[in-house]
Amino acid sequence: MARYGMVFDLKRCIGCNACVIGCKQENSLPDGMFFTRTLSEEYGVYPAVKRVYIPTLCNHCEDAPCEKVCPSGATHTRDDGIVMVDADKCIGCSSCAVACPYDQRSQVDKDLLSHGLFGTSELTPFEKDGYKRFVPGTITKCDFCSERVDAGLDPACVVTCPTEARIFGDLDDPDSKASTLIRERNGKPPMPELKTRPKVYYID
Amino acid sequence: MTIQDSKIVGDNFQVGVRFQRYWDTSMANAFFCGELGAGIFFVSFLFDFVTGMVAGLLITGIFKSYFHITHMGVPMQSWRAILRPDRSWISRGLMAITCYLGLGAVHCLILAFDLETAWGLGTAVGNLVQLLAACAALVVMTYQGLAMSHSTAISLWNTALMPVSSMTYALTGGTVLTLLLGWNKVFAVMPQGQESLVSKILLLLLIDAIVLASVVYSAKNRSRGGKVSALLLLTGAYRQVFLSLVIGAGLILPMMLLWFVPGNLIAVLLAAAGILIGHYSYRVLVFKAGVYEPMTSFR
Repeated sequence: MARYGMVFDLKRCIGCNACVIGCKQENSLPDGMFFTRTLSEEYGVYPAVKRVYIPTLCNHCEDAPCEKVCPSGATHTRDDGIVMVDADKCIGCSSCAVACPYDQRSQVDKDLLSHGLFGTSELTPFEKDGYKRFVPGTITKCDFCSERVDAGLDPACVVTCPTEARIFGDLDDPDSKASTLIRERNGKPPMPELKTRPKVYYID
Repeated sequence: MTIQDSKIVGDNFQVGVRFQRYWDTSMANAFFCGELGAGIFFVSFLFDFVTGMVAGLLITGIFKSYFHITHMGVPMQSWRAILRPDRSWISRGLMAITCYLGLGAVHCLILAFDLETAWGLGTAVGNLVQLLAACAALVVMTYQGLAMSHSTAISLWNTALMPVSSMTYALTGGTVLTLLLGWNKVFAVMPQGQESLVSKILLLLLIDAIVLASVVYSAKNRSRGGKVSALLLLTGAYRQVFLSLVIGAGLILPMMLLWFVPGNLIAVLLAAAGILIGHYSYRVLVFKAGVYEPMTSFR
């Protein structure tokens, strides 16, 4: 069984946020909800100032704190390592959201589903169809586009990235591109001191 | 570092500190009612004071439950919260609340109607019920702090002092309200009990103050996010509420009242009001000042 993970090549990321839009389209995310974000940070002192872009999403941690605290068993890890939320079991207590050190969870507010991205109370056919996947009041998050992965495809953010800064693959396969990059370019997980053992790595 | 340097980024796509926004005032209300109710029950239990125990059970059973239900995204599925006692403090807490409410009510009925004699149960059943009810009340007092302390995401909460503060605040509020509820009843015929409770409230207030200072100090020295939380309370947006209500009304005022006029009902009433205001403000502020650590920078 594969153990899926993702690598972010910070040298390639240009902060275009195409991944964010691709994710929103694929998952029909309502206004204000994001499963992935590209954060920016400026550092240095003028004139030696630089900006770095840091893509973020759910890190699908091996030792996921969100799964540990979930009182209903809604948060669970699949055999392939993808951390999922079963909306039918979620009670919306938000304990996973306050346990996730990466702030990668979103609550499906009833209000969010009542208005479309164009700011009107009328939903487009795309939104009407897409919002059916959400159960109001529950917590949701990135699932590495599990439906696409099950069909043998890469997550939407990966295929949308114009610079190939996002690399998805099997971390248990030493020959996968993701494993090779982590090994050869000293991939680092985010906030390793928390010992959550993320399956997302950064290389620069 | 000052609060201006901390770069609180909100929902912006920037690296920085973000406020937790998932556990809000309804959760603070639920925690407050849970701690207070269990605290009153536990202290009243020590005096076999049925009115106090019933009050504690009602505060927990009605108000804590109501505020939890209003917080839940899917209230009709709330029963599922009991399914994972092996790993979740919310599940364990819910089991403890169920035991506490059920066995606490049975204990009150046994005491009020002398059911041990009436039904010929013997003392063993009554003793077991009261022991389990008291243990469950102790868990209800502390599990909320344990649920918070297990969150490594938020430095202000991620400390073993959180359950301690839950326990000491619960006991302080519980003791002062038990004293008030029993002023003309159980303590009218037992003045030494009244004096003993006043001295214990003073001791508990002192412990509250030490624990509170330790929570803020440890957060300030633990991480960048923890420092932001501490600065928000001490010098930032929540300074006035923290200093005036949590410290002033919640600790200093009741200490002075109970120290200088310990046997006066009005003084005890004012002290109780101050303690409850301080406890509630503390609960709200701990949620409001909780922030996520900034995402690791890779520069």
